[in-house]
Amino acid sequence: MESRIKKVISNVFDIDVESINNMTSPDNVENWDSLKHMNLIVALEEEFEIEFDAQEIVDSMNYALIVSIVNERY
Amino acid sequence: MKYSEIIKLNNSLEEKIQGAEYNISILSNIMVHQSKDVCEWLLRTESLNAKVTLGEYDNIVQDSKKFQSSDAVVIFWEACNFIDGLQYKVDVSSENDFNNIVDKVKLEIDIVLAALNQTSTVVINRFSSLIFDQYNLSKGNLKRLVDILNSYLEGSVGKNVNLFDIDGVISRLSIKSATDLRYYYSSKTLYSIDFYREYFEQIKLIFLAKTGNIKKALIFDCDNTLWRGTLGEDGFNGIKMFQEIQYLALNLAKRGVIIGLCSKNNPEDVENVLKNHPDMILKNDDIIIKMINWDNKVKNLNSIAEDLNIGLESLVFIDDSSFEIGLVKKELPAIKTFQVPLKEYEYRLMLKKVSNLFYNPFKTEEDSFKTQIYKDQRKRTKEKNKEVDLESYLVSLGMSLTIDIDDLKQVSRISQLTQKTNQFNLTTRRYSESDIESFILDSSKIVLSVAVNDKYGSSGLTALAILCLKSSEIETFLLSCRILGRNIEYKFIDIIIDIAKQNNVKVLKASFIKTQKNSQVMDFYRECKFDMIEKTIDSSIYSVDINSFKYKNIKYIEVEDGK
Repeated sequence: MESRIKKVISNVFDIDVESINNMTSPDNVENWDSLKHMNLIVALEEEFEIEFDAQEIVDSMNYALIVSIVNERY
Repeated sequence: MKYSEIIKLNNSLEEKIQGAEYNISILSNIMVHQSKDVCEWLLRTESLNAKVTLGEYDNIVQDSKKFQSSDAVVIFWEACNFIDGLQYKVDVSSENDFNNIVDKVKLEIDIVLAALNQTSTVVINRFSSLIFDQYNLSKGNLKRLVDILNSYLEGSVGKNVNLFDIDGVISRLSIKSATDLRYYYSSKTLYSIDFYREYFEQIKLIFLAKTGNIKKALIFDCDNTLWRGTLGEDGFNGIKMFQEIQYLALNLAKRGVIIGLCSKNNPEDVENVLKNHPDMILKNDDIIIKMINWDNKVKNLNSIAEDLNIGLESLVFIDDSSFEIGLVKKELPAIKTFQVPLKEYEYRLMLKKVSNLFYNPFKTEEDSFKTQIYKDQRKRTKEKNKEVDLESYLVSLGMSLTIDIDDLKQVSRISQLTQKTNQFNLTTRRYSESDIESFILDSSKIVLSVAVNDKYGSSGLTALAILCLKSSEIETFLLSCRILGRNIEYKFIDIIIDIAKQNNVKVLKASFIKTQKNSQVMDFYRECKFDMIEKTIDSSIYSVDINSFKYKNIKYIEVEDGK
C-alpha cells in the first residue's frame, strides 16, 4: 500500500518516488500548494476507492499522516 | 486511466510534444483546477500541443478580457454560484430579487461575449440546474432561471461560440459520479475527475477540428458491418440490413462526410445489393468510393486515400473482423479503426461516437454539396486513368476559374479553407472568420478566392490567396486537395502577379513554411521562377521582380470575374 501512496504522490507533484519519506510535506515539496493538495486527495480517493472526511483532508499534511489515514480507511 | 497517472503522462507528454502551442483558457465561477491536466492530456495524446491556463476563481467577466487572445476559451458558468448558495436561496427569493439576478447575469453575458467576439474558439457550457434539481416534482426557480438565461445566451452568441450541453455529460455518468458535493460545500469544486474525462473527451473534437485535425472519410466493410450475414454465403435474400447504422451513415454523407466501402466480395454482388436490395438505405449516390475486391485491405485503403487525395489520417475504418482491424492497425496506424461490437445494440452507440470525429464547427452550404463534389472528382480521376496524355486530358476538362476579390459573403468558407487545408498550403496560417473579415475590410490586404469549374461541375471555392500590399507579400496561398494535379496553381500565380502589378507592387515576396504535411509544395515558388532570398530548416523566403516575371500562360484554363 505504501508504494501505491508514494506513486500517487510522485505523479501528482512530479517528484521522484525515492525522494519521498515520512517528513515529505508542503514545506519541502515546492509543488504542494492548496490546489495541488486537493488533486492529491482526489487521486488518493480514486486509487484506494475511499473517501476522506473534511478533517482528514486538512490533516493529511505529510506522508506519514497520509499513510495512517489511508490505513484506517482502506 | 487513473487521475494520478494522467498527471504523470501529461507531464511527460509536455516535454516530448512538438508543434505550435495551442492556448486554452478555462474561465469559471467555481473551482475547476483538475480540468487542466485532463484537458491537456487528452489533446496532447492527439498530438495537439495544448496548454491550459486557468482563470481566477469566480472572475469570468474580468478574465474574458484578459484571455481574449487565447486560441480557445472554455467557460464553466454555474448557476448555483451566481451568488453564494443560490441553489437553496432562489426558491424563496422575491420576484424582484429573481429579476435582479437575471439582469445581472445578462449584463455579464453581454460583457463576456463582447470581450470574446474576436476569439477564434469559445466553448460555453449551457447553464444547468440538473445537479440541484433532481428531486423537483415541479419546475423550481433555479430551472426557471437557467431557462431564461440559456435562451438569452442562445440569442446573443456569435459564430465563434459553441454552446455545449453539459447535461448530456452529467446524465451519461449519472449525477452521483459526475459531481462530488462534499467538495462543492468545502471548496466550490463541483465536478469529479470522471466528469472532466468525459467532458473533454467530447469537446476536444471542437479544438481538433479547428486546428485542422479533422476526419474526412468513413469507410465501411460490408458483411456484418452494413448488414448482418455474409453476402457470398447467405446470398442476396439471406442478409439483413443494419438500417439504423445505414441511416446514421446517410446522415453523415448528407453533412459532407465521404462514405466509402472496402470489402472482400464480388463487386457485382455488392453492386446488385446497392441497386436492388429493398432494405438497403445507402445507395450508390451516397457512396463516394468503393473498393470491392479480394485484395488485402491495406492496399485498398491506401488506394482510397490516394484516389480521394486525402491523407491516411483523415480516414476512419469500420470492420467486424478482428483480423482486418488488426492488420490495418499494424500496417496503417494513421487510420483510426473501429471494430463492430458483438452486441448489435452497442453498434449504434459506437457509431454515434464515431460520428463526432467528423464534427465540423464551420458547416457551410458547400458541405452539403461535398458528396457531389467528390463524386465529380472521382469521375475526373477515372478519366485521368483512361487518358494517358495529361495535357490533352486537362484541355478536355474545359476548366475555368471564377475569381472573387474581398467577398464578404465567403468569409465562412474562406476561414474553413485556411483551417482544413494541409497539403497544398504554403504557409499554413489558420484564420478565424473574424480574421478573414478584418482582412477583407482592410484596404492594404487583398483576399482572392477561386472557384474551379469544368465540364463535370463546379468545385466550389477551393483556392485562396491573401496578399498584403504593405509588405508586398503573399501571406497565404493554398489549394484544396480536390483540385490538385491540374496546373491551377500556376494559373493562379499568374493572376496574383497581375493583381500585384495593378496595385503598383514592384517586388513581390512569398514564403514557404514547412509542416508535417506540406512537403509537396516545398519547391513550388522555385518552379514559378521566384528567387530564393533566405532559407532556414523550416522555411524559405522568395521574391520576384514583377516586371520580369515569366508567365506560364496556361491556355486551357479560362478566368472569369466573380460577381
